[in-house]
Amino acid sequence: MGVAELKKVELYYHKSVQENVARILQRSGACQIIESEETGPRPAEVDARLTTCEEQETHIRYLFRALGSHYKDPVSSIDRLLGEKPSLSLEELAQIAQETDLKELASSVKTTETKLNELRIETAQLKTNAGILSKIRGFPHPLSVLGEGTRTLKGVLGTLSTAQANTLKEDLAAYSDDTEFFVAPRNSKDKEAWVVILYARAREQEVLELCVRDGMTIVELPPSISGTVARESAKISDRLAEHERQESQLLGDLAQTADEWMPAVQGLSDYWGILHDRYHALAASDATGSTTRTRFWIPTEALPNLQKQVEAVGPAVAFAVSDPTKEDHPPTLLKNNAFNRPVEALTNLYSPPVYGHLDPTSPMAPFFFLFFGMCLGDAGYAVVMASILWLLFRKYRKMPASTKNFMRLFYAGAVATFLYGLVTGSFFGDFIDAFPFMAFLRPLKEALLIVDPLKNPVAILGLSLLLGVVHLMFGLSVAAYDEFRKSNYADAVGGKISWILFVVGILFVGGGSMLPLFFYVIGIGMAVAGAGLIFWYAGREEKNIFLKVGLGLYALYGSTAYLGDILSYSRLLALGLGSAVIGSVINLLGKMIAGVPFVGWVLAIFVILGGHVFSLAINLLGAFVHAMRLQYVEFFSKFYSGDGAAFSPLTFQTQYVDVFDEI
Amino acid sequence: MELLGLALALLGAALAGGLAGVGSAIGTGIAGESAAGVMSEDPGKFAKCLMLQVLPGTQGFYGFIIVFMVINKLQLYSTPLIISWTQGLMIFAACMPVALACWVSGIFQGKTSAAAIQMISKKPEASGKALILPAIVETYAVLSLVTSMFLLLGIQLG
Repeated sequence: MGVAELKKVELYYHKSVQENVARILQRSGACQIIESEETGPRPAEVDARLTTCEEQETHIRYLFRALGSHYKDPVSSIDRLLGEKPSLSLEELAQIAQETDLKELASSVKTTETKLNELRIETAQLKTNAGILSKIRGFPHPLSVLGEGTRTLKGVLGTLSTAQANTLKEDLAAYSDDTEFFVAPRNSKDKEAWVVILYARAREQEVLELCVRDGMTIVELPPSISGTVARESAKISDRLAEHERQESQLLGDLAQTADEWMPAVQGLSDYWGILHDRYHALAASDATGSTTRTRFWIPTEALPNLQKQVEAVGPAVAFAVSDPTKEDHPPTLLKNNAFNRPVEALTNLYSPPVYGHLDPTSPMAPFFFLFFGMCLGDAGYAVVMASILWLLFRKYRKMPASTKNFMRLFYAGAVATFLYGLVTGSFFGDFIDAFPFMAFLRPLKEALLIVDPLKNPVAILGLSLLLGVVHLMFGLSVAAYDEFRKSNYADAVGGKISWILFVVGILFVGGGSMLPLFFYVIGIGMAVAGAGLIFWYAGREEKNIFLKVGLGLYALYGSTAYLGDILSYSRLLALGLGSAVIGSVINLLGKMIAGVPFVGWVLAIFVILGGHVFSLAINLLGAFVHAMRLQYVEFFSKFYSGDGAAFSPLTFQTQYVDVFDEI
Repeated sequence: MELLGLALALLGAALAGGLAGVGSAIGTGIAGESAAGVMSEDPGKFAKCLMLQVLPGTQGFYGFIIVFMVINKLQLYSTPLIISWTQGLMIFAACMPVALACWVSGIFQGKTSAAAIQMISKKPEASGKALILPAIVETYAVLSLVTSMFLLLGIQLG
């Protein structure tokens, strides 16, 4: 089990080689830069470089936003996540960067985008006007009468409710006989009426007041619309057609630009990101005159190689290597063997250990797989899972290490699930027993079956709780080991071993009828010794005799927590049984539907396939979460607190391309 | 009246399946609202949000498992057992732990999931912990399932 040993390096170098040194540090992917706390001068030219990076990244962000929706990426995002990216060297990317003027590209895309937006605003206006015109179809006069009017005549257009329209008409008629009232034809369903009123210019004031009083909303048309309704409508539809043509042309331009440039922009996004990280690391260094000092953490085993590479740059570099001191807070890099490595993901998901402390990865690994297997507990589902993972591993050869590890976690989980499924006789629920055509597998199933959880859940419950006790006691043992290692003997014996004695002793006594008398006697001894130790340990630093006793009793009361912890493992039974029952119900439904005449068997296949896919998904999630929870809540609480910071080295962090660097 | 026992037993099973389903429906609903809010900002969090949303969905299945066990016990699909009303009441009682605990824990797990979804929207690196908080609530649904299961197994019919 392990946390990799780190060294703290102070690297001094001449500013003439700073680019090369930074490049080597980044390429190694093994150095976590320690940010300088001093606010002294920064290495030369770094600020200018950082500004360049930020400018380029601004253009790239804009281009992603503007072109992204027009670009059909040939690499799907899932493929990309699983490592299918074009591979480019840093030199090739630098070449692309030189050939691509991102600023020019961004401004040309921006011009097209602006044109498109203006066009769309105009189109919207045209459509509004077309809508108004369609309402007053049948108005006989040229529309110029509404805008400027003639020498003596003027008009007004507006809408009001149908009831009000009649009122207004009467009011106008009563007021004067030299107005003309036009009501546009409408459906009986329409609640709004569109009206045009023509009146003598001299009476404008009074007519408008009347209109407003009767609740008319006046609608203005742009003065450019001056012909008859039919003519103006035709004009507008011509212009709309023209707009549509222009819009599709602009969109075509954007799509073409996207096709042509997006691959380069994606590569450059990674390129400038890499440079940004590099110069950021330099900016975090200290500089005096012509010397720069960069401090970083590096795994001890990666140091010699790095030293060799950096020293090859020239004579103007110097290493000062030291071990972490008490004041330092080194990051944590986990280092485990191939079997345990996938479980590191779970440790990091919780929180990595503090540097130099115990790594819970390897103690957790076997239990995680066992519990995962018991919760999912179906050989059929395990086969499906393993096949899918196997196909993914075959298809995606360049998968990033973290993704690969996470998938291996499920691969190993599938193996445990398969084994547990065999001994509990679960294969897609009761698939083998449910369908006569599977009968040939029955003898095999029966031969491997040890206990059927549906028929004998009590046995599985016993097993679950027993595993819980083993798991918890193992956690306490690890804690005791850790305390011994740190020479805290009182804590190891009083705080950890005492509880092992007490809990196991009580269980031996409690299991009296099932166990030989020997265990009963031993159990009493262990429980008493454990209780005594717990009692002593809790009150050992207290002088007052009453407080001493009180603290001791309170500590013993803490044993109820162990009861709760142990019972929590009953979920192993519940979730395993859940998979088996849900699987069986799906088979039952399938069998019932298969009885439908003619199409029954087709429906049955759908029900069984779909049902099992669904059941696998929901039970997989449950198995993962609960197997993890038993580690985090019950197991870790005995010996592990996390609180470390994960090692995050300066490296090539890319999203779109795989970058390699050969100097 | 000779079917009263059977009716009581079925009432218990119906409540177990129904109330547990109600709990899960409300729980996944609450979590789903929260997930939709987070995804409107960042659609890339879909997978994480979905995992948290389906967590309160398990209660419905726990209820369903008990329904299945009652059906099996009564041999409902072959020749239903005719049981006395006291036996029916016993089965009814055995169904109650799952019915009640899954109903309520589904709702509260949904609320915790919703809060956890908000948490990963602000701190995506804490998604492991976010997954654990709702799983704590589920403990009691699991316990109620085990309780109901053992009560049912303990009832001797015929």
